[in-house]
Amino acid sequence: MTWIDDVIAGLRENDVSTVAYLPDSALEGLIERVEADANFETVPLAREEHGIGVLSGTYLGGERGALLCQSSGLATTINGLASLSKPARIPFLGIVSRRGDLGEFNDAQVPFGYAAGEVLDDIGIRNSTMESSANVERAVDLAVKTAFSVSEPYVLLLDATLTGAKDEF
Amino acid sequence: MSSEDTGDSDRQRADQLACTEHLLQKSPDAAIIANLGVASYALASVEDRPRNFYCWGSMGVTTSIGLGLALATDEQVIVLEGDGSLLMSLGVLSTVAACGPSNLVIVVWENEVYGTTGGQPVTGIEYADAARACGLWAREANTVEGFEARYAEALAYDGAAMVVCRVEPVDPEARPQLDFAHVTRRFRDALTDDEGDR
Repeated sequence: MTWIDDVIAGLRENDVSTVAYLPDSALEGLIERVEADANFETVPLAREEHGIGVLSGTYLGGERGALLCQSSGLATTINGLASLSKPARIPFLGIVSRRGDLGEFNDAQVPFGYAAGEVLDDIGIRNSTMESSANVERAVDLAVKTAFSVSEPYVLLLDATLTGAKDEF
Repeated sequence: MSSEDTGDSDRQRADQLACTEHLLQKSPDAAIIANLGVASYALASVEDRPRNFYCWGSMGVTTSIGLGLALATDEQVIVLEGDGSLLMSLGVLSTVAACGPSNLVIVVWENEVYGTTGGQPVTGIEYADAARACGLWAREANTVEGFEARYAEALAYDGAAMVVCRVEPVDPEARPQLDFAHVTRRFRDALTDDEGDR
């Protein structure tokens, strides 16, 4: 089982039906698996912020959704998280490849990527950072369960030490 | 504004409240996602109903909410969008076109101002042309009668559809409930008829 198998299993076990995403090299394998899996309805976004709206609609319609993107894209979602998801009590699972820390070569990815967890904390969006591929299925399972039980988003930040850093040094 | 579809005079503007009243009469069971500010206030002043979801924030994601909802339900979904809000996120129209749910009608109230912040002008565009460029079916209106005709066509269209309606700026006194979480639960329960995850 790879970490990608574990994520898919965690999503399916919890009836996550809609996955909104933007392409990301670290999540490429996961996105391909989701697109090929008839259990998921996929929504290709033009901007990650739209994913907050799309997945809010998913929940309002009685279903469950997940957002796949990288941390730079998560930066575009802050107003949606803070002024829709959190106050309206609308949950979804975020699976975000976190740039800006170990393995990062690109200065443009550092300020938000490195601070992503702290920014989410500041606006009250719970999150965990995963550094290795151990216990990924368990983490996805529990993240979906707590998100939809508490009725607010939960974000799993996947570090490059888990997803594999780009070899650009 | 092009008059190719409506035959209306370019100078005319429709009454947003009358148009909102019409769409509620025509689609009494529709699930409605209303943009923050004037679109929500106008909807609440015509009828506050469980199948109304009022945005209190997140300007620019109203159409995205409607898209996600239309993909999750078989019910008719109506988005009441503002021109300023749509302009903030025009890119979403490419996603709407790619997904193309036939139960989604997006109504854009083109009042050409940021109504909630005091009526400052919107640097507008031809929204229906932009929607068509993204691959959407889109029509325009600038009278109540024109809106009624375009709205009926949009409901009947087999795909996601948009009606851009030029309206007089209005300032309704009605306000939706400020309890945002209540609005969510009431709406979701009305659509799903169960206790869901709460």
